Amino acid sequence: MSPVDAAATNVGAGNWKGLGMWAWLLFRIAGIVLVIYLFAHIGVISSARWSGHSTLNSALTLFDHPLFVLLDLLLVWAVLFHALNGVRILLMDFGLGIHRHKAVFVVCMAVAVVGLGFFALKAFSYIAAHHAGGLGGLV
Amino acid sequence: MSEARFRIKRFDPASDTAPRYDTFVVPYEGNLTVLEGLFSIQERQDGSLSFRYCCRAAVCGSCAMYINGRYRLACQTNVSQLPAGDVTVEPMPHLPLVRDLVCDMTDFFAKYEYIKPWLIRDEAHDPEREIPQSPKARRKLDMPIDCILCGCCYSSCPSVWGEENYLGPAALLKAYRFEVDSRDQARRERLPNFDNERGVYRCHTITNCMEACPKELNPTEGIQWLKGAAVRRRLFGRLK
Repeated sequence: MSPVDAAATNVGAGNWKGLGMWAWLLFRIAGIVLVIYLFAHIGVISSARWSGHSTLNSALTLFDHPLFVLLDLLLVWAVLFHALNGVRILLMDFGLGIHRHKAVFVVCMAVAVVGLGFFALKAFSYIAAHHAGGLGGLV
Repeated sequence: MSEARFRIKRFDPASDTAPRYDTFVVPYEGNLTVLEGLFSIQERQDGSLSFRYCCRAAVCGSCAMYINGRYRLACQTNVSQLPAGDVTVEPMPHLPLVRDLVCDMTDFFAKYEYIKPWLIRDEAHDPEREIPQSPKARRKLDMPIDCILCGCCYSSCPSVWGEENYLGPAALLKAYRFEVDSRDQARRERLPNFDNERGVYRCHTITNCMEACPKELNPTEGIQWLKGAAVRRRLFGRLK
């Protein structure tokens, strides 16, 4: 489609009002984030193999920084969102709750938020216990 | 006497280089549908305005447009439903444009035809003889049979935007309408046309089609049923 065609045919207009559209898009983004994380994770772990244990140890020291603990929370959210929205999509694939997919999404996200809350509690108590300045160590 | 302000997206590929919005004020008494407003503009203000219409009763699906940021049928949208009599009319998004509000539906109907939207029977049956169907079996058709082929779902589907060969929700809903029909004996005849990556498996249950449908139908449900039926047939060879 040429730019003129694209402008003429309303490409990108609207369509962003449906909850299903956002669920789908964020589902894909979370999936990509998890794949990238997976390879990064494998890379870091295998660094011990090809450049000795000191590389892995320094990496682990870096990951102990409060900033990385907070990034872990982002990762937890990606996992929870992807997993629970995946449950919703599986249900829809079995023909269940298609009419009520928005309500199913809300329930799934409520579970995800509870899960995130649990891990956030863990993360903040870890930071408080291991870093004298707490979150102040961030700055 | 009331007034409605129509903001209409105009584009004529033959003479224009870029689309523009024209504004028209339409006076009316009592009620005014968007389609009546377009008639009034075409008759009294700008004869070059192009749009499609036919039945004026929300049955034919010709006048599907993007009105105030939502898929609607111009004939069943009353201006009083819209805020402050402000009406923004655009052609359906993501479809090739013929002119102004007229979209090119060639692909849409080619895909519709591709899924064989007719009853397929094993034996040549006498057209004078009816094919009986129980009320219970007929109820399965209640939802999909109301589709008027307006193309709103097709225009709203991101899977269609990304893959020009994807059949789209409307054609697949029609396939569902015949596959679920107790009188249809297609068995494997229609199946290969939707049991592939350009058919049901391209649907990612985004549900924009459900949001868009002016008849409040549920193409996603039909497509999911077809997925299930196709998988069952592959796994167990079960028909119907």
